[in-house]
Amino acid sequence: MRIEQHPILEFKRGKVVTFFYNGKEITAYEGETIAAALYASGIYTFSYSKKLNRPRGIFCAIGHCSSCLMEVDGVANVRTCVTLVKEGMKVKSQNMDVTKHGQY
Amino acid sequence: MDNIENVELIVVGGGPAGLSAALAASDYGIKVVLAEEREFLGGQLIKQTHRFFGSEKEYAGTRGIDILKRLIEDVKNREDIKILASSRVLGIYEDNVVTILNNNKMKKYIPQAIILATGASEKFLAFENNDLPGVFGAGAVQTLMNVYGVLPAKKILMVGSGNIGLIVSYQLLQAGVSVAAVIEAAPKIGGYSVHASKLKRLGIPILTSHTIKKAVGNKKVEGAIICELDNNWQEIKDTEEFIECDAICLSVGLTPLIDLLKQRKVKTVYVSELGGYIPLRDENMETSIMNLFVAGDVSGIEEATAAMIEGQISGLTVAKRINKNQKEEIQRKIEEAKKELVLLRSGPVGEKIRKGLSKIGLNHGENYDESILKEEFDISYLMKTGVPSKENLESKFPKDKKIFDKGPIAISECFQKFPCDPCVKSCPFNAISENGNINNIPYVDFEKCTGCRICVSKCPGLAMFVVHKNYTETSSLITMPYEFLPRPKKGELVNVYDRDGKIICEGKVIKILDSSFQDKTAAVSVEVPKEHFLEARNFKVRYLKHE
Repeated sequence: MRIEQHPILEFKRGKVVTFFYNGKEITAYEGETIAAALYASGIYTFSYSKKLNRPRGIFCAIGHCSSCLMEVDGVANVRTCVTLVKEGMKVKSQNMDVTKHGQY
Repeated sequence: MDNIENVELIVVGGGPAGLSAALAASDYGIKVVLAEEREFLGGQLIKQTHRFFGSEKEYAGTRGIDILKRLIEDVKNREDIKILASSRVLGIYEDNVVTILNNNKMKKYIPQAIILATGASEKFLAFENNDLPGVFGAGAVQTLMNVYGVLPAKKILMVGSGNIGLIVSYQLLQAGVSVAAVIEAAPKIGGYSVHASKLKRLGIPILTSHTIKKAVGNKKVEGAIICELDNNWQEIKDTEEFIECDAICLSVGLTPLIDLLKQRKVKTVYVSELGGYIPLRDENMETSIMNLFVAGDVSGIEEATAAMIEGQISGLTVAKRINKNQKEEIQRKIEEAKKELVLLRSGPVGEKIRKGLSKIGLNHGENYDESILKEEFDISYLMKTGVPSKENLESKFPKDKKIFDKGPIAISECFQKFPCDPCVKSCPFNAISENGNINNIPYVDFEKCTGCRICVSKCPGLAMFVVHKNYTETSSLITMPYEFLPRPKKGELVNVYDRDGKIICEGKVIKILDSSFQDKTAAVSVEVPKEHFLEARNFKVRYLKHE
């Protein structure tokens, strides 16, 4: 969900770009991060803990907590909260047992 | 050696401290390389939509985002400052080499001086299920909401009532998110009372002596279980309560990001008052390693105004060392900045900072006037509830109640000493004064006050109101600050609330000041029945119901 009107801020959104998250098309705006775009599209789980496979969400959003690491265009462990979206980008979640959790 | 560039100064971090440091140094011709990890400058200022406290000289009364615009514009206009955005400083080595990763290329520098302004990171809190998606740091909520315009949740529980917790709660409300409650483990509110009062007027519960026990939910937060604490911070039996919410926001403090300092083996020491391990440093912000300086939160958690002044001090000190010609002038500037910093920390809210600094051998304010160090009022009730006591209020109302009959007058509902002066500076009639020290509580001289309403929009704490008791025979006119959407229209009927957030009557909007001068804090005059003129302190626009 995005904020449309705000009493203090004006959101000048860039042009619409689409990228792929686990194969699913996501609409985003130029200038926003992968994590912000995913969250706005209703994706709240960003990774799974290695040992117990527990879901992890965005925690710090400024590149310090590593709970939003994903594979971006084949590169693993990219901090999606500080990486901007690009047209056609392929983003994949890591440590994810799809049979257990279904597709997010 | 190849590929190593000799430079005068490297500043690490493009937040308020780093930007101020770079500017201060370049004021005296120092060539600066400013490295910022993100693709944009500004650090955390980019999400601070609220107005800052402090002195007008240091941008008080200005929104963080606007301070940032000015700083960035200034930095970009300097030929002497080379901005390296999207650049992570990876190493600071013993032979003085600094390595920076920029666009996947490693750059190497040998600077004459380094200023580290790397900021801080959010502290975490232990409770069951604290790893569920939907448990956020307060800064993350701010980033999503204020930088990217993404709604973090529908309903949030805020944990922690320091200034960040209170301010972010208010910003969430502005963005249209509801705040279930602000909970605070300590027996009193941690942030400034004016921020708490803003939330209370909007009906947000602030529960002191409460903590979170558990986040509830399967794949994401669906609620939280909170409980009450006794005086020893132990859980009181049978006080568990379920709070429905889809996010939990942790605002439990910050800790300095000292990784780079550790790498260079700077001496650090644990000072709880300043957020954890901080570098030992002198009053010019120089660490135990010569020509390695710090500024801002990395040197101890404070706030942005102090960070900017610390940036200036470190930048000027570097300039003094390198610049051969203007040493005296630079020294004078350094002294000025230091005085400003001492003044900023001289009140009761600066006590924690002063205590922390004394632990690393820096004494701030041994020669203070005792009266400034003590609170003027008993604010224990206010700091527990966010609502001023009757006695507190009485002291700020005119003693002679006949003054209410003279016409509109400004009432300052500011009871806690902290460094702030925009109300004083805004008054064109010199009717508001704080008696010489920025930490003092401002008083209105009702004889001089004309009720012009300028201060209502200028107070960063939204604590100024203009009251016109005898607007008509049966009604009073209350002018209140308003920072929400939708904006009211003239003639519209609104619900009027008291300081506790309870609805007390219906009011009619008479006048609205909402030009660029008000900078989005509208001053709205609402007509209320006369008996409520001392209680009416907030209003909400009624949303149209579709029938």
